[in-house]
Amino acid sequence: MLRNVHLELAPGSLTRIDGPNGSGKSTLLRLLAGIDAPTEGTVTGRPRTAYVPERFPAALPFTALGYLTHLGTVHGLPRASAERAADAWLDRFGAAAYARTPMTRLSKGSSQKVAVAQALFAEPELLVLDEAWTGLDTQARAELERAVAERTAAGSAVVFVDHDPRRLAGVADTVYTVRDGGLHRRTGEEPTVAPDGPRMIIEVHGATAALPAEVLRRAVVAEETAERTHRLTVRASHSDLLLRALLTARPPWHVAGVRPDESRDAIPDESRDTSSVSRDVSRDEGHG
Amino acid sequence: MTALLRYQTALLVRSQRWLPPFLLYAVFLGIGLQGGQPLLDSLGYAAAFLLPVAAWLVRNCVANEPPAARAVVAAAAGPARAHLASVLVALSSASALGTITTVIVALISDPVSSDHQKRVPVPEAVGAGLLAVLTCALLGVAVGALTAWPVLRSTGRAVPALLLAALLALVVSGSPAHAAASGLVGGSHTATVHTPVLPLAAAALLSAAAIAAACALTSRRSP
Repeated sequence: MLRNVHLELAPGSLTRIDGPNGSGKSTLLRLLAGIDAPTEGTVTGRPRTAYVPERFPAALPFTALGYLTHLGTVHGLPRASAERAADAWLDRFGAAAYARTPMTRLSKGSSQKVAVAQALFAEPELLVLDEAWTGLDTQARAELERAVAERTAAGSAVVFVDHDPRRLAGVADTVYTVRDGGLHRRTGEEPTVAPDGPRMIIEVHGATAALPAEVLRRAVVAEETAERTHRLTVRASHSDLLLRALLTARPPWHVAGVRPDESRDAIPDESRDTSSVSRDVSRDEGHG
Repeated sequence: MTALLRYQTALLVRSQRWLPPFLLYAVFLGIGLQGGQPLLDSLGYAAAFLLPVAAWLVRNCVANEPPAARAVVAAAAGPARAHLASVLVALSSASALGTITTVIVALISDPVSSDHQKRVPVPEAVGAGLLAVLTCALLGVAVGALTAWPVLRSTGRAVPALLLAALLALVVSGSPAHAAASGLVGGSHTATVHTPVLPLAAAALLSAAAIAAACALTSRRSP
C-alpha cells in the first residue's frame, strides 16, 4: 500500500523508481499506466500510454507478428502501418526470425521482446517499463536503452523500474525511492551510481563555430580541439541521437570519427545540462 | 473500439474457447428439439437455453488473456474499454448463435399450435423468436458479467454463482427471459404469437447496467 504519493511526469522526462522487493513499485507503475485506479486520490492526464509488464506470458493464440499487429491497431495505428512497424521493431530487437512463430512457442526472452516492441512501436506519450530489461539478451538491452533515449528525445515521458542500478545510470532526470509505503525523491547526498555506462567519442568539424543546442544537451563533454573542430563525449545509448542531430543540422556537420571512449573514469559530469527537463505537467498523482 | 473488438474476436476464435459453450448448446437442442414439433414451443426452448450459454461465453471471453497481456491492453485503451470489448464479443457471438438456431428451428419445425390444430404465422413467429433469443442473450451476458472477473475472482464462487443466477433468470416470474420464453410457449396453445418487446427492453437495460458495473470495477481490482 502506498500513501501520500505526489508525482508529476513531464513530457520528455526520464524517471526511475527504486525500492526493495514488494515495496509497491509495480503497483505505482500500474497506477501511472492507468491500469489500476487509486483507492484514494486521483491520477490526472490521460496521455497515450504503453506498458511493459515484468513478465509477459506467451499463452496467446497468435503469432508474434499477428499479436503486434492487433496491439498496433489498439494503440491507434492503421492496420497496414501497424504490420510494417511490428516487423521493423521485431527486426530491431533481433526477433525478426520469430515473427511468424506462434507466441506459445517463444522463449521467455523472445516473448519479452514482443512485449517491448508492443510498447515502443506505437510511439506512446507515456512509456511505463516494469523491469522490461529482464530476460532480454545483451543486444536487445542496449537497443531498449537506445529506444528509451529516442522516446524521451521525441517528448515522451518514460518511467521505469529496474533492479540493475547501472540501467540508464546518470541519464534519469529524477530518481524516486518507494520506501515505507511512501515515495521519496532521491536527492544529491545519496549519490546515484556514477554514470559508468559505455561512452563514445565523436569528432566533428563544421562551417560554423557553434554546435547545435541539442548536441550540447546530449553530450557529456564537448571541447573545441581546434578551430571549428569539436570532440564530443556521449553516452553510447545517446550516440545515435547525437549523430542524427549533427547530420540533420543546417549547415550539417562533418563527422570525422566515432570511437568508443576508453578513459571514461577521468571525465567530469558537470557539463550535462538538465535545465531542459522542466516542462509542462503531463499528469500528476494526487495525495493518497 | 473497432480494433479492440477485432482483437477480442480473434482471441475467442483462435483460442477455441467458444467451442465448449457452442457444443453444450448443440447438445441442449439435440435433446430438446426434433423436426416437426410445434414452432413456438421449439423457439421458446431454443431461446431459454441460450441464456446459460451466453453467460459461459462471457466467462470465457473476459478470461481469454493472461493478466499481463490484459494489463498491456488496459494501458493502451483503458481498462474499462478493454473489458467492454470482451463482453461485447461474447454478446455478439451469443446473438449470432441464437439467430442461426432460430432460422434452423423455423426450417425444421411445424408451424402449428401445440395441439396441431391451428396454423401459426411463420414470419411473426420467427420475429418473436429472434427477439426472445436476443432477450435471453442479453440477460445471459448480464449474468456472466456479474459472475466473472472483476466482480467475482475465485472460480469456486464464480461458477456456482453463474449457474444459480442463470437458473433464477430463467424460472423466476418477472425475469425478462422467463417472460419471453414462456410467452412463446404459452402462445403455442392458442397459436398466438407474443412478441417480447417489453422483455427485450428490460433485458437491454439490465444488461447495460451489469456491464457498466463490471467495467467500472476493472481498475479497482487486482488481477
